[in-house]
Amino acid sequence: MKDKFIVSPAPHLHDRTSIPNVMWNVVIALLPALVFAVYYWGWRSLWLTLLGALSAVLTEALIQKLRKVPITISDGSAFLTGMLLSYNISANSPWWLPVLGAAFAIAVGKQVFGGLGNNPVNPALLGRAFLLASWPSLMTSGDTWIKTLSRPFSQASINGISNLDLIHQNLQTVAPKAYDLVTSATPLKVAQTLRDSSFVNTITSSDSLNSVISNNIFTSLFDLGTLQQLFWGNVGGCIGEVSVFALLLGAAYLLWKNIIEWRIPLFYIGTVFVLTFFLGGIKGTGYSLMLPFFHIFAGGLMLGAFFMATDYTTSPLTKKGRVIYAIGCGLMTVIIRLWGGYPEGVSYSILFMNVMTPLIDKITMPKAFGRIKK
Amino acid sequence: MKFYLKLGFILLAFCVVATAILAYVNSVTKPRIDELKRVAAQEAMAKLIPNAEFSDVVIHLPEGASTPDSLVYYIATAKADSTKILGYILSAEKHGYSSNVKTMAAIDTEFKLINIKVIEQAETPGLGANCSSDSFAERFKGLLPEKLLVDKDGGEVKAMTGATITTRAVTNSIRETIAIIRKDIESRANTLPEVEA
Amino acid sequence: MSFFKELTKGIIKENPTFVIVLGMCPTLATTTSVKNAIGMGIAATFVLICSNIMISLIKNITPDKIRIPVYVVVIAAFVSVVDMAMAAYLPDLHKSLGLFIPLIVVNCIILGRAEAFANKNNVLNSMADGIGMGLGFTLSLSVVATIRELLGNGTWLDMRILPQSYNPMLIAILAPGAFFTLGFLMAAINMLKEKR
Repeated sequence: MKDKFIVSPAPHLHDRTSIPNVMWNVVIALLPALVFAVYYWGWRSLWLTLLGALSAVLTEALIQKLRKVPITISDGSAFLTGMLLSYNISANSPWWLPVLGAAFAIAVGKQVFGGLGNNPVNPALLGRAFLLASWPSLMTSGDTWIKTLSRPFSQASINGISNLDLIHQNLQTVAPKAYDLVTSATPLKVAQTLRDSSFVNTITSSDSLNSVISNNIFTSLFDLGTLQQLFWGNVGGCIGEVSVFALLLGAAYLLWKNIIEWRIPLFYIGTVFVLTFFLGGIKGTGYSLMLPFFHIFAGGLMLGAFFMATDYTTSPLTKKGRVIYAIGCGLMTVIIRLWGGYPEGVSYSILFMNVMTPLIDKITMPKAFGRIKK
Repeated sequence: MKFYLKLGFILLAFCVVATAILAYVNSVTKPRIDELKRVAAQEAMAKLIPNAEFSDVVIHLPEGASTPDSLVYYIATAKADSTKILGYILSAEKHGYSSNVKTMAAIDTEFKLINIKVIEQAETPGLGANCSSDSFAERFKGLLPEKLLVDKDGGEVKAMTGATITTRAVTNSIRETIAIIRKDIESRANTLPEVEA
Repeated sequence: MSFFKELTKGIIKENPTFVIVLGMCPTLATTTSVKNAIGMGIAATFVLICSNIMISLIKNITPDKIRIPVYVVVIAAFVSVVDMAMAAYLPDLHKSLGLFIPLIVVNCIILGRAEAFANKNNVLNSMADGIGMGLGFTLSLSVVATIRELLGNGTWLDMRILPQSYNPMLIAILAPGAFFTLGFLMAAINMLKEKR
């Protein structure tokens, strides 16, 4: 793996970067998000995370024993994969979900290809894709998110949507369908559903009322109150993705330690920001500079951009390549969020660009001095 | 050159023989296949509304870019009393997840669903393909067209696990087709009041 | 003696799916349930036997340079005839197998065996080869389908095997599950072979 860092001709410098050092530092950077998860959802989120990590480590050890290669579980890479996988499921998941997901991530996502440094895509995201395809109801259904949101802090809002009461004092009686939506789904799911005319047209029997209700709910998704809730993480979502604050804290640590580089997160989040400003609205709500903030705060973008898209093995080596890669991730995320079948597209967009990485590397690799351009 | 011509003619000969055989087999089997298909359709209808006779009605639709220009539905009258309308049978079609899903649905005179039967589909086996099962049809029984929406869209049709898109295709196609023939039936009722009795 | 040898080689030693790796398209597409797998297997076996016999019969009048297009015409015509005849005279059988018959045209085992075996061997051996390959194909399809149906639906041949509380792993009956199952099975078979 070490030789893969070197993309420029000699002379080469060596610092004390090592695999365990990098991996355990990323684990440390992920801890604030875990603290917030425990605060919002209780100890179960901690147990699920540990189960995922444990399963990943055991699977790695078992397969390395079978392959008769040195067992390298202490380098933290399997632990990190298991932890990231668990961050991508809901705190209400059954215990076996992170166990199976992490085992699949390590076995099929990593060891099949020869272990660390050889995996074509991020193992944790592959594990998540496996879980999503296998048990879609456990991974996406509305009530998996909300049940445990019963802490005093979270009662202040309905799923993070701050001024819902002001929109319609009696939404529950006037438009039970709309009420069900805002109380049972993740914020991104709310945004996606409001985009679907077959939902909006059937909220109530009156067309004009429907557009008022849907536009009001939609604009309240990105008012200051909701954005605050999203920032602190008081919304429905996966274990590790909800608190933007906690993730930024961890990201700052990684940037300070020089473990991740600023290009991928900046261009990824920046692309999503710019595109959702122009394309993110629904009919009748116009443009707002707040709307893109909703899109970068909601869902798994922060987790994905700082902790998953930046994975060394699966992101391009060159600086130019990283920019292309990050913009590609942003583009795919926005396309899936706004026009796709899923409300969230971060994981699939990163998986997609992971696959593109060798190609990007090939076209952006600098020419060695003296070589003739073909 | 001569050599290639010869090869070409041999290939042509094979093709001619194959085509001739196919044409012959087709001419022998086609009437039988059509007859079997007709009987199967009749049987399917009889299962949806028992003890009834069916007469078809063709509606000509205003020309649209995406809709076909005509639609056929069947009026089911009681075998014992040909003036008594038991209900209507319609066939609805919409693209699901990986194929066109064609459904036959029976409604009573109040437009309430009596039963449905998915007759043509090639959806994902084990997921969407389960829409041809009886337990899936069970979800539709007794629903009024206003309630014909997948539960995720706010209706009363419970979506199949992992196959919301298929469920939605079946549900929406039936609802839309009922809306079309409802207009036709109601206009008939106005011009021919004796049908009501 | 050689008749028997040609018959048995397709089942394990030259298994069309796991060893020759032919007919991947129907293998991946129809193994979502054991019932489908057996249906596809039987339909393909039937066509394979008949096309092998036919190709073996016409091998002397087919010029070498155009043999592939001739085989394609023969096989395609044959499959269509079977399809129509079945629909007209055996409607019940056609109902359960009909779905697979058009798929057989894209099954490269048929063309593969025509090219690799039937155009070099006599009618009797070609028939034996067709039976053996067909059986091997049916067998491996059933193995793949057993794993997929069990994991993805909790059933085997529509009988419930795993308890009702089992939450089926849907990916097993989706397209990726077909690749994973096939991959794991091939890895296992290769591992066993190496050990020997």
